[in-house]
Amino acid sequence: MSGGRPQPSGLADVIDTILDKGLVLDAYVRVSLVGIELLTIDARVVVASVDTYLRFAEAVNRLDISHDKETLPDLVGDLEEGGAKHKTKGALEAAGDKLREFAGGTEDDEEQRSGAGSRSRRGGD
Amino acid sequence: MPAQTRAKKNQDKGTAQKRGKEDQGKGAQQAVYVYGILPGDIELEDGTTGVGDPPAEVRVVRSGDLAALVSDVDLDKPLGRPEDLYAHEELLDATAAGVPVLPLRFGAVVASDEAVAEELLGAHGDEFAAALEQLEGHAEYVVKGRYVEDTVLREVLDENPEAGELRDQLKDADEDATRELRMQLGEIVSNSIDAKREQDLQALDDAVSDHVEASVVRSPTDDMEAVHVAFLVDLDSADALEQAVDELARDWGDRIEVRLMGPMAAYDFVGTTTPAQDI
Repeated sequence: MSGGRPQPSGLADVIDTILDKGLVLDAYVRVSLVGIELLTIDARVVVASVDTYLRFAEAVNRLDISHDKETLPDLVGDLEEGGAKHKTKGALEAAGDKLREFAGGTEDDEEQRSGAGSRSRRGGD
Repeated sequence: MPAQTRAKKNQDKGTAQKRGKEDQGKGAQQAVYVYGILPGDIELEDGTTGVGDPPAEVRVVRSGDLAALVSDVDLDKPLGRPEDLYAHEELLDATAAGVPVLPLRFGAVVASDEAVAEELLGAHGDEFAAALEQLEGHAEYVVKGRYVEDTVLREVLDENPEAGELRDQLKDADEDATRELRMQLGEIVSNSIDAKREQDLQALDDAVSDHVEASVVRSPTDDMEAVHVAFLVDLDSADALEQAVDELARDWGDRIEVRLMGPMAAYDFVGTTTPAQDI
């Protein structure tokens, strides 16, 4: 690989990058474009602002009592928050877990995977 | 050892859909996955693999002065396992460190090598060549910063007396009765963090602007994200950028955890915007 630069990307970074960005083939190829089922698109869930507000409030409260942090397990806290508004977050976490599960073991292969080199380039100028 | 893929160019006529291992006996329908577009004078290391399970061998399809990195893909298997995502990005990023490359978004599949050569490379050759020329010697770097929750919440409480009062009211109250108050507190926090985000983004911009050619601010993907910006960088300025980001990270201290990723293919600078118009 190329010079072992800064930090490696995690899965979330990769998702942010290659599912959202880059040239979209449809703009260039129509006739022979082939659809294929993609697994990961649904993993991106936007967190609603209500959830965000309540989460912040919760975090501020936690901060306040930070010296006895371990009052309740997180799960119980979630249940008390109650109801459907937490569904999104649950789904998001579940998706993340699933992806992580899949990801298990890939790290080992990574070294063998070095990418495209380009030896012959750089000749001309 | 490069004894490889370029020979395939001619022999592939019309066979892309049928290629595949007969011994699997599945009659799996195959097509061609496309990773990115490069100048035609590149060569690929033997044994480079891409998406799929097992990972398919990556090939080069050429047309005129352009090349595309592709591999065969089974249409009856869904794509998008983390391994597939990593494979797509690693291939393009490793390439981008040495040669300009136009990265395709994940999941681009066409019927055959001919389609890649004719419909994609042939039909848009001038456009791609011009974009690649602009990317020559450049790569993308991404700076991602996350607020350290405790630190930033304490900042918010220090700066907003109202937030402190709300927190005190909430402290001993029954949770069911305080949804309204909690929403208020949350909104204050959220707005304060938005304001901080703007300031911190400005600080990042000030810190790196001398070392980058162009930038794209990515929208936050979670509520503790501080900054998330893609930069197009002249590879000669990469060290200076790295240093500038390091310094900024030191300034931010324990407020924001900063990561610099790159060099990567210029995902954020292809497509809708022309890369680096001002070069």
